[in-house]
Amino acid sequence: MNLDELKKLKDKAQRQVALREGNKKYRVVFSMGTSGIAAGAREIMTAMLDEIDKRGVDNVEVAVTGEIGLVDAEPVIRIEDRSGEKVTYAKVNADAARKIVTEHLQKGKVVDGLAVGKVKEKEAERPK
Amino acid sequence: MFDQLSLNILDIGMNSLAAGATALRITVIENTKRDWLVIRVRDNGCGMNKKTLRDILSKNTSTKAHRRKPIGLGLALLRQTSEMCGGVFHVHSIPRKGTGVTASMRASHVDRPPMGDLNATIFALCAANPTVDIELNCESDGEKFHFSSQEGKYHEPRRTQETQGQGAAASCAA
Repeated sequence: MNLDELKKLKDKAQRQVALREGNKKYRVVFSMGTSGIAAGAREIMTAMLDEIDKRGVDNVEVAVTGEIGLVDAEPVIRIEDRSGEKVTYAKVNADAARKIVTEHLQKGKVVDGLAVGKVKEKEAERPK
Repeated sequence: MFDQLSLNILDIGMNSLAAGATALRITVIENTKRDWLVIRVRDNGCGMNKKTLRDILSKNTSTKAHRRKPIGLGLALLRQTSEMCGGVFHVHSIPRKGTGVTASMRASHVDRPPMGDLNATIFALCAANPTVDIELNCESDGEKFHFSSQEGKYHEPRRTQETQGQGAAASCAA
């Protein structure tokens, strides 16, 4: 085993530790592709992290992804919980981001007016 | 087009993170006397081969084909801004070694977007991947500012002039 291999091993371990540290109840994923950034994803992220910090919410892990294919609905936030359920919020503004923190991340209630993923499911269930 | 140059930097930086970079160095140099502004983003990610490098600015070219809608506008947007403001845009890349993007522009050009919130950009990049070493070097008319996420603290800027400021990142943003 040479120095390069050891270095690779260390890098891998560091990555895994970073992932494991994120063993929280919720995982908030921001869409930060070109379209997301242009729509204001950076400001939404700042507002949301500020609110999380202010309210002392500690069950949240933050992640960032690239384009997720919802270009016209940016800025988009996806919230995943440990059971694997995903809720996608579209066209989020700073106020909405703060509301998502207080309602979804603190009380576990999905903010209906903003969640695109959830709304679609309900529509599909509705009898025609 | 982005209304802040710092958003361009965030966009290019996100490309670097997607390329698997472990170190990302952002340099912003502003010189009002010579009237130029240079932005440089360098990473040690996977790099690009010559063909990709040639096509990278053409329409709908994106190396992130695994995503649902690869668009490929980020670099083109920065080039547009740079060339519109009387500057030069350049990308150099070596496969498996890394990529460097350099964009210069005339600082006083009427179309030059403001730098915007560079701190928020660095913050977002750090949050996007905490394991990556992100370094910011800012120089504005001899006033220097350095930040490195690896060390996790701000350095007192070494000043060549006797100017008092709240860090050059803030003054660069002006």
